[in-house]
Amino acid sequence: MNTASKQFDPITFQVLWSRAISIADEMATTLVKTAFSTVVRDNHDYAVAVYDAEGDMVAQANQSTPGQLFCMQRVMRDILEQYPTKSLSPGDVIIANDPWLGSGHTPDIFIATPTFRGEELIGFGVTCAHHTDIGGRMAAPDAREVYEEGIIIPISKLYDKGEPNDLLFRLIERNVRVPERILGDLRAQMAANHFGGERLIEFLEETELDRLSDLTGPVVAQTEKSMREAIAKLPDGAYESSLELEREDADGNRLVIKLRLEVRGDEIFVDYDGTSPQVDLPINSVLNMTIAYTVFSIKCALHPHIPNNKGTSLPIHVSAPEGSILHPEFPAACMFRSSLIFNVVQIIFDALSNVVPEKVMAPSGTFPLWIERFGGKCDDGTPYVCGFNGQGGQGARYDKDGVTTTVFPANVSSTSVELLEVEAPLLCDRKELITDSGGPGRQRGGIAQEVVLRNLAKKPAVASLSGGRFHIAAPGMHGGGTGKHGAIQVGDDDPIPQPKQVLMPQETTITFTYPGGGGYGSPFERNPAHVLEDVRLGFVSPERAREAYGVALTDDNGSVDKDATARLRNQAAE
Amino acid sequence: MTFDLPFRLGCDIGGTFTDFVLLNQNTGRFEVHKTLTTPHDPSEAVENGVIALQQTHNGFLAETENVIHGTTLVINAVIERKGAATAIIATKGFRDSLEMRREIRYDIYDIGAVYPTPLVDRPFRREVSERLYSDGRIRQELDTDAARQVFDELAAQGVESVAICLLHAYANPEHERALEAIATETHPEMAVSLSSDVMPEIKEFERTSTTTVNAYVKPLMARYVKRLEERLAARGFDRGLFMMLSGGGIIAPETARQFPVRMIESGPVGGALAAAQLGRQAGLRDVVMFDMGGTTAKSCLIRDGVMPISTEYEVDRVHRFKKGSGTPVGVPTVDIIEIGAGGGSIASINEMGLLQVGPLSAGADPGPICYGLSGTKPTVTDADLLLGYLDPSYFLGGKMDLDLGETEAGIAREIGEPLGFSVLQAAWGIHEVVNENMAAAIRMYVTEMGGDLNNATVVAIGGAGPVHADSFARKLGVKRLIMPRGAGVYSALGFLVAPVSYEISRTRILSLNDTDAARLGDLFKELEDAATPVIEAAAPGASIGFNRIADICYLGQGSAVRVAIPDNADPEVIAARFLDEYRSRYGASYDDLDIQIVTLRITATVQQEQTAIALPFTEGGGDAAAALKGERMAFAPDLREMVPHKVYAMDKLPAGARLTGPAIVEEESSTLVVARGGRVEVDARGWIVVELGDAQKEGP
Repeated sequence: MNTASKQFDPITFQVLWSRAISIADEMATTLVKTAFSTVVRDNHDYAVAVYDAEGDMVAQANQSTPGQLFCMQRVMRDILEQYPTKSLSPGDVIIANDPWLGSGHTPDIFIATPTFRGEELIGFGVTCAHHTDIGGRMAAPDAREVYEEGIIIPISKLYDKGEPNDLLFRLIERNVRVPERILGDLRAQMAANHFGGERLIEFLEETELDRLSDLTGPVVAQTEKSMREAIAKLPDGAYESSLELEREDADGNRLVIKLRLEVRGDEIFVDYDGTSPQVDLPINSVLNMTIAYTVFSIKCALHPHIPNNKGTSLPIHVSAPEGSILHPEFPAACMFRSSLIFNVVQIIFDALSNVVPEKVMAPSGTFPLWIERFGGKCDDGTPYVCGFNGQGGQGARYDKDGVTTTVFPANVSSTSVELLEVEAPLLCDRKELITDSGGPGRQRGGIAQEVVLRNLAKKPAVASLSGGRFHIAAPGMHGGGTGKHGAIQVGDDDPIPQPKQVLMPQETTITFTYPGGGGYGSPFERNPAHVLEDVRLGFVSPERAREAYGVALTDDNGSVDKDATARLRNQAAE
Repeated sequence: MTFDLPFRLGCDIGGTFTDFVLLNQNTGRFEVHKTLTTPHDPSEAVENGVIALQQTHNGFLAETENVIHGTTLVINAVIERKGAATAIIATKGFRDSLEMRREIRYDIYDIGAVYPTPLVDRPFRREVSERLYSDGRIRQELDTDAARQVFDELAAQGVESVAICLLHAYANPEHERALEAIATETHPEMAVSLSSDVMPEIKEFERTSTTTVNAYVKPLMARYVKRLEERLAARGFDRGLFMMLSGGGIIAPETARQFPVRMIESGPVGGALAAAQLGRQAGLRDVVMFDMGGTTAKSCLIRDGVMPISTEYEVDRVHRFKKGSGTPVGVPTVDIIEIGAGGGSIASINEMGLLQVGPLSAGADPGPICYGLSGTKPTVTDADLLLGYLDPSYFLGGKMDLDLGETEAGIAREIGEPLGFSVLQAAWGIHEVVNENMAAAIRMYVTEMGGDLNNATVVAIGGAGPVHADSFARKLGVKRLIMPRGAGVYSALGFLVAPVSYEISRTRILSLNDTDAARLGDLFKELEDAATPVIEAAAPGASIGFNRIADICYLGQGSAVRVAIPDNADPEVIAARFLDEYRSRYGASYDDLDIQIVTLRITATVQQEQTAIALPFTEGGGDAAAALKGERMAFAPDLREMVPHKVYAMDKLPAGARLTGPAIVEEESSTLVVARGGRVEVDARGWIVVELGDAQKEGP
């Protein structure tokens, strides 16, 4: 293709772009409504986009999860390498879930459907969805290799000129636990792509657009320009940061992420040199995901409201040592890469806090994700399996307290206690906010919660317990204090040292103490009136007010003792 | 049919204005009146309006059959945090569910996001010892002594209203009722709202949120309704006073006093009710109500004359147009989509260098630049004026002079120059972008509902609706639009055609495999018995029709589908209905999965004849020529230039008249723009029907 891009006036361009985004959004709605997987429906773990005939993304659905969305661009490039445009026909559907090509773990299946107007390929509808199951040792927390994590589908045609790839269908069906749901969700993805394809054809017919690629160029250029302008506002300089994780390698050493972030003109160079080598645990993050979350973090800080397309990532250059936890070699296990990769957000924010302290947030108590699974039998013999999600507190912002019990950077709903108790013979003794869980700071870290679950059934329940910040709490930023650390306790036992599976006999309780968010700025700079309000609300104890914030209250805790507060704060300053 | 009492009066209290519509049921004619809202006592504005209407209809109240009333009082009290001193009583260990919300973000990238402040803060969220199992059995008895003490303390703290929200109370209201009894006995002045009455449905956060909103506005609403009744009685009206509910039914004041949360979105329902009625009269299957006013556009897809009902509504959004940023209110609400796009929406250049229109609005003051009230930011109305769609000398029927010079300068400065555009191109850009914004939002809404726009008709109402309807409808692929007479005030008529109707629900989790028609019949009968007195209070002796509905899902699914259930249906029939509904919404269904009923509902509606509505207009003749006012230059979207448009006076267009685009049809409350290719016919009721056609085929 060597024809020059068609020029549009800015309004036409904008209307066309908006229309393309609306097509992607409608595809996403179709997917969410059709999919059976609760991971797609309730946890929004999907990405949807429309691509032009050259394999470049024109527009993406707004709710797409950032990791999958970014990786989709790479998948499309690889798909077109394997199946050049000329080898595609109407009725073809392409599938892939290879973690190294895609978004870093096997449950994420990409489906790309080429769309034809007559004989002419005009573009692709593409979806990625996190499936309920993909075989293997279902979500094994001790997997050492990706072979244990289910079936790997290389880039293949699932349909060829409208004919189903019978072998592939049978292979998938035979390798997963709930084949009707997996195949149902694949159908949902194809339906969404098909819907998008129909809309693309209408789009080209109703507008003055000849080819989608005429739109892609300006879309990427405009986004890139805007991103570059945002980066150019930062002073040049290099910033280093290091983050110790509580997960350990085989020798018992804590894993480390090292970062060097350099701002140079209108570009950012990110290097993870010095990061720990890959481990025999299912937490390695393939390079695609590492880049995706690096770009996500920078975008959140510098330019949250622009679309997340190729233009966003073009001025950002990411490298990570091969064979490291951020760029593992095949066949590293990677099912729970989110528990590692979310730390990238923390370390990038830490580096950027030197340059744009007002645009980042202190570390949150909301990662790793706490997604608990329970299985067992009701007293009438009916088996059950259920999940329970809850959240800690987010990190404080430069000018705002951290958000109470709200997920970040993933986006999943919590579990309703009433629904849980209908679904399973479990009972929730309490679910309440924890006093003094938010890290102290000029802006306080987000408040966390404590949840106690009890097994009512005679048969013991099997509980797969996940969570973190058991040993390293969310630190503060720029003088802010750490949030409360997390803990999971079975009965009165000592807290578990790391995620594990346990048996939960009848009437046994498990106590989940979620981690609080880190504070921002010195707590001695916090407005005493806000400390008083926090005490009134029970978010901060009078003791903590005195010790951490240097705020003394009157005997009834009803007002600030101004003189005593001044004394406390002066003492601390000296 | 002639009515002994010919008048019906609708009145809607808004934030700024209180709107009235007085309909003469015998002639079908109506009159509209506006008066300023009186926030210190909103019933005063109602009385003022009645006095004003008596100037033209002397003694009309004595001949008025009923007064139908909607109000933004409830929603404004929530938004402005001006409700009663309210407390929550929760099961021990669960007082924080209101504050923890769903623990999910509404914006993926915005780390500066904030969430609504809980209506009731922590010290006023109290707990009592008690516990139910999920099937309603008691695990732990209520500690009544401790509960008494809680009420005493709350009363001493000046609490006026209490929301009682216990876990699993939808399955067994016993403990909530016991608490209510204690309150009534020890503190009779305290208003009490039980979650098992307000919203007896599963999911503690949503039920608590809804019950809390109810408690928060209950004392306010009780005082207000009492004053309103007194004022009307003093003017000699003591017959049927009805309250408009968010679900599109009207009900007796006593019900509104008990459950004010049900009135929370009563205002916007008017447009949908009116458009639904229009659709039924015209025999249309699918109607897209398009109501574009000063600050927002509202739309609703009405199929077979039935408005969509949602019970997953949200108010008081921190980000007005972002789902998930507000306070959930799980009462039946007409599913209307609202977009930040109105005549007052401000145009600017955003951080991407793109033209952005809305959601910020210039409101009525300072308003658009053209109003000459010191507004400096260009708005949609300013663009419409420069495009020739609005007549500067006939705005609001000539009641307002518009300033063209300032408008041109403002659009050039704020939009034209940054984009390198002429004034006209910039004005067109604003018009086009706002239309695309509305079309995009509505495409999404229709896709979510599983609707299809191919055979739909747009009903354009609101001041700006008919100005934008042509381009809006084309973007949606809709081929026909209707503008009724009085389009600018048409939504006010909706109140007058609303039936007495009420929906009652209860969570009853049942596997379809383990139930039968008799058991379901008993459960539905219980709900019908509960709804009957509510209807009787509004319409004594009327014949009541019941519709059975169930929220159904596949076992283990997060969200349920609302399915209409025939009487005496057995589980097989219900399963078939569910699968049909599921397929029509989501495209596919599964035959091998277990199906579960989550919540049962019934809608009780009084069977009544529809009130006819028609504005007077010139009948017969069929010739458009008499209505021709002249010609003016206006923008032709397909040619991208100003071309002559014939201008017609709507009130002089007789039934049967035909004309073709490009044309403009003006009336006092709105202006219809018909693009090239459009073919217009005035139907027998005086409505303007436009077949949009294809401008491209007209040639230059």
